[in-house]
Amino acid sequence: MSMLSISNLEKVFTKGKGEEQLLAIKDFNLEVEEGQFICLLGPSGCGKTTLLRIVAGLEFQTRGTILINGKTITGPGSDRGMVFQEFGLFPWRTARKNIEFGLELRKVPAKERQTISQKYIELVGLKGFEDAHPYELSGGMKQRVGIARALANDPAVLLMDEPFGALDAQTRNLMQKELLRIWKETKKTVLFVTHSVDEACFLADRIVVMTSRPGAIKEIFPIDWERPRDRASVEFANLRKRILAELEREVIAGPTAPINPTDKV
Amino acid sequence: MSTTISSRVRKRLVFFVRKGKFSDFIVMALSIGVFLALWYIASDLLHTVYFPNPSTVFDALMNSFTYSNPQVGVLLMGQNIAASMTRFLEGFALAFIVALPVGLLMGYLRYAYDVGSPIVEIFRPIPPIAWVPFFIILLGPLVGPIWVIFLGAFFPILSNVIFGVRSVDNTLLDAAKTLGAKRITIFSKVVLPYTIPFIMAGVTIGVGIAWMCIVAAEMLGAEGGGVGSYIRVNSDLNNFPAMFAGMVVIAALGLITLGVARLLEKQVSPWRGK
Repeated sequence: MSMLSISNLEKVFTKGKGEEQLLAIKDFNLEVEEGQFICLLGPSGCGKTTLLRIVAGLEFQTRGTILINGKTITGPGSDRGMVFQEFGLFPWRTARKNIEFGLELRKVPAKERQTISQKYIELVGLKGFEDAHPYELSGGMKQRVGIARALANDPAVLLMDEPFGALDAQTRNLMQKELLRIWKETKKTVLFVTHSVDEACFLADRIVVMTSRPGAIKEIFPIDWERPRDRASVEFANLRKRILAELEREVIAGPTAPINPTDKV
Repeated sequence: MSTTISSRVRKRLVFFVRKGKFSDFIVMALSIGVFLALWYIASDLLHTVYFPNPSTVFDALMNSFTYSNPQVGVLLMGQNIAASMTRFLEGFALAFIVALPVGLLMGYLRYAYDVGSPIVEIFRPIPPIAWVPFFIILLGPLVGPIWVIFLGAFFPILSNVIFGVRSVDNTLLDAAKTLGAKRITIFSKVVLPYTIPFIMAGVTIGVGIAWMCIVAAEMLGAEGGGVGSYIRVNSDLNNFPAMFAGMVVIAALGLITLGVARLLEKQVSPWRGK
């Protein structure tokens, strides 16, 4: 059985007093094996972030089920860690205290907290910065804190919502390599949302390309190349080309209009 | 040759003006100097007892700490400062103690906001000074002024706290939730620390308004001294230098309390605005 199982997922957003409804996600089915790195790729507004937020428990689906290790999710929980594009670090806490946040909530004793946070500080390469506040850190360092904070809870799944979207190109490439290193060491299952084809090709075991709104799976591209991958290789370029073509078709097709409540959703 | 010298001088000047606190100090001293000079000139030109020059006021100020005449209601400046300061602290502490929990509640709970905000909106536009007669009649000249100060400081603290709570970054709330925080822990570990700089901003604004209220309340009829009463009494006695001396003292007290509030603001949230 797969570790993360999403079946028949559907999400309808209701605006105002039910006058306008928006079908955001439709017929979404995905099975993810333990330790897999999945990238969700799609045109903007296709519902990939919504999907991730539903898995995180921050939003609720209209229909369908999500199972993690066979258990239905009903809200946020420490079995899923999330990393945000805007980092979401607590500005009044130091890097270490940010990383220990989840542990504090679970009433882990101070000594143990210290040991765990130290482990993740070293894992993500934050040594020497543990006592810095977020405003003293660069974007890349901030996201290292974000990743360490999510990992400190030892979640089954790591959810990443365009985590490197706010970084410059060089830092972004570096962080992708770092993430792969961290992923190999922790063997986490990763669900990674991005709109960068290049990023997805570099990272993923499987790339899930979504359609325009309502978001459904258009095609899944499995990649079994060894890592680190060579961005300049011919096969890399060919895959990029194929995926870009798929995406372009979706962008041109565009999202469907809002639907009426009288229509059968 | 001359160009190199002038450019060197200019560089040094630019360095002097931009860098260091010393230049800030010079600019401040200059601006105060200009102000005092203008005051001198204006009082000289008008040449009236109602508008004494700075040195006369300074003499009156020095004198106010040693001269008293309780029979006509002139107390020692030290006593007046103590009376005003006590009122300020009592009224302000009261405002803070009430506004903080009410503001947190109204900011965090939707229905508390819906219930509370119409009442707040009715009272907010009434200048605190308009309450002076009511409070003095109802509570007497000793306790009445404290409640005027309370009102003056209450609303700025309240609205800043509400604004702070309501402006909490959604990503922070999401992050806390995904890390396992429930509603109560989100409040204590995210909302409250996030709101602290807003609380301090409210305190700083409240301090300024509180001082205006003290003087107004004391002038309109507080008992037991106070710098406001000192101004009022000396104006009745036609002792204008002393009246101005009272105003200078108010300015100094306002600056000091504001300075303390700002210092506290920096101490409490060094990460703010970054």
